[in-house]
Amino acid sequence: MVAHILGLKLRLLRNGFKRSVGQLIGVVIGGLYVLGMIVMLALACWFTAEQNPFPGQLSILIGSVAVLGWAVVPPLLTGVDLTLEPSRFVHFGIDPKVLGPALVLAGFISVPALLTILGLLGSAGMWRLQPGVMLLALAANLATAVMAVLLCQYLTIMATALRAKRRFRELTFGLLFLLLVSLGPLLSSVISAAETMSDWIDPISAVLAYTPLGAFNALPGALAAGDFARLGICAVLGAVYLGGLYVLLVRATGAATAAPAPQQRAATARGLGFFKLLPATPVGAVAARALTYWFKDPRYAISILMVPMLPIIFWFAGNQSGSYTMMYFLGPLFGILLGFSISADVSYDNTAFALHVLTGISGAADRAGRAAACFLVGIIPLLLAAVLPAVLSDQLWRLPGDLGLSLAAFLVALGVSSVASARYTYAVALPGENPMKTPPGNGLRMALTQLGTMGTMAVLLIPVAVPFGIGLATQSATLGFLALGIGLVLGLGLLAGGIVLGGKWYEQRAPELFQAVLLNR
Amino acid sequence: MNPIALDIRALAKQFGAKVAVNNVSLQVPAGSFYGLVGPNGAGKTTMLSMATGLLRPDAGSALVNGIDIWAEPQAAKRTLGVLADGVRQFDRLTGRQLVTYSGLLRGMEREEVARRTEDLLRVMDLASDGDKLVVDYSAGMTKKISLATAMIHSPKLLVLDEPFEAVDPVSAANIRDILNDYVSFGGTVIVSSHVMDLVQRMCTHVAVIAAGVLKAQGTVDEVRGGKSLEERFVDLVGGRGTNEGLSWLHTS
Repeated sequence: MVAHILGLKLRLLRNGFKRSVGQLIGVVIGGLYVLGMIVMLALACWFTAEQNPFPGQLSILIGSVAVLGWAVVPPLLTGVDLTLEPSRFVHFGIDPKVLGPALVLAGFISVPALLTILGLLGSAGMWRLQPGVMLLALAANLATAVMAVLLCQYLTIMATALRAKRRFRELTFGLLFLLLVSLGPLLSSVISAAETMSDWIDPISAVLAYTPLGAFNALPGALAAGDFARLGICAVLGAVYLGGLYVLLVRATGAATAAPAPQQRAATARGLGFFKLLPATPVGAVAARALTYWFKDPRYAISILMVPMLPIIFWFAGNQSGSYTMMYFLGPLFGILLGFSISADVSYDNTAFALHVLTGISGAADRAGRAAACFLVGIIPLLLAAVLPAVLSDQLWRLPGDLGLSLAAFLVALGVSSVASARYTYAVALPGENPMKTPPGNGLRMALTQLGTMGTMAVLLIPVAVPFGIGLATQSATLGFLALGIGLVLGLGLLAGGIVLGGKWYEQRAPELFQAVLLNR
Repeated sequence: MNPIALDIRALAKQFGAKVAVNNVSLQVPAGSFYGLVGPNGAGKTTMLSMATGLLRPDAGSALVNGIDIWAEPQAAKRTLGVLADGVRQFDRLTGRQLVTYSGLLRGMEREEVARRTEDLLRVMDLASDGDKLVVDYSAGMTKKISLATAMIHSPKLLVLDEPFEAVDPVSAANIRDILNDYVSFGGTVIVSSHVMDLVQRMCTHVAVIAAGVLKAQGTVDEVRGGKSLEERFVDLVGGRGTNEGLSWLHTS
């Protein structure tokens, strides 16, 4: 039975690659890239072994990062390959004593797991001067890799059970995203506050050594230092953690195979919502539908969350460098990013887009409605971001220029996105899926589309950026007003042009667009 | 009024090496209740997608009430209501919002949309669920709300791909009543189905399609020729196994 399930997992992995050549190429390129980084790191560990002042602490940190990465990223963000999700085995009545271990083992058959094991083993090279310690380090790193994969599996099962509740799923992702985005600036503040590396590496690694994250990887350091008490304690702790985790995991797998996750309670909304507020025309209807999605669909929430997050990040960055110039670019940045966010609109609709095709709505109305919804969502934060920095810093001469560039960026971005989303679709997280999940092997196509869209926006903004830049350098409000004027004319013109051109393309290609989203590509 | 509600002329579609629909021509008379039957993978959905403007055919054309749907899509779609199979809805909307949306997208008046939405929710037994998000609907409820979005603009032709799948018997009977009523006042309905019994009882006309080829078309009585539709279907399509199969399944 164990062999069967491992075989099944291998077959699934192989068939996944067979599905499309593009995806295979994407995975190969991505895999080679990561493999290259791992080899570089391993070589670095190997060749700096003589100069490395604290290999013990470093080993603990590397192990901890690996385990923590596995604990956080797959269960909460990217989602795990759940083709072998325990609850899929509900109907088979396989003995949990066999199924549990089999599924746990199957978890190791994946590209990321193999790369992690390789990377951790490679990091043992930093002990090459003491062969005995290096042998222990190899074993310890392998144990850490096992810990990482087991922890990931356990948390995934827990998260899946919780995620069955839609509300919870959408809420956690929002909170988590906030946390992750603010983590970088917070950490860098803490680290730069510490005078030297040894100030923070010692206490942090000392604590981590007693947690499941670093217990195993603390062993080589303890042996090298001749600290046998610590060696014993960490070895026992590691064994207990791993054993306990294994028991928990097998039990959770058994529970998940015995009873599928319960259904959630239905959500309601009174009345017609935005449909009542906006005009009863096709454009108004599309805008009302899109607005509803802006507030109800977590995939759009990423763009909305950016609005409070960017100022915070910029403020942190400014706090460290002592210069807050970045804050002045919030307006144009909001404009570009918010406007850009509707370039995947049709992809986000997925097959629900069929309704637009079947009703025969005109292309321009479809484009205009989507752009209008994004405009309504974005205009107030955009105006605040354009006006507040200049007002708060008491540089009122900046105001017209900032406003001009921000509005132009927003309008041009909306126009370009209206054209792009009528022509280019790409694989996105499906409705109701984890919004952070990007389908694999999609990177190149998406990157090219996004690069093209962003590049076009940048080129089209040049006529506004030039007077804005000169005005900034000469502190001229007159040139700022010029930028505002050009920005409004250019922006409105390009938005209208984008809606017309996008509408035309949409009408020519609506069935093809539908077939593309049907395959989610 | 055009005597042929849906005129399918030599539609063909090929996916890679697989011929999904092979030169199918089909006339659906106005005022008929037309059944489209065929085994799984016969090309029913592909053909209906091409006839309703969702999938561009490799060759051939489809005329909806006399208007070529690929030459004048917007005009043709005005008199056409479609329930597509295997398609999502905008399921973050409530049932009421979704039906309203479908009406407004077609450029209808707000009051008219509101009145018809309530009527449709009532006949679909969804009046008490109108404020629930469609994502929380059961499969049968989703089918019914999708049917409502296809009917709000009172089309002359309804194309329904698997309308009774996952719908409970009571709702199915209600939907049949609505469709019968619709046909008796001059509307035309095309349904695809696997359930021969249902098609035989409900439809006036039937077409049999298998492996992308049209095997038979005409009134139900013509096609079945004295046999039951199910027997005739099996004759036409073939593929019945012998009865030797699974001796080990006999538990006694």
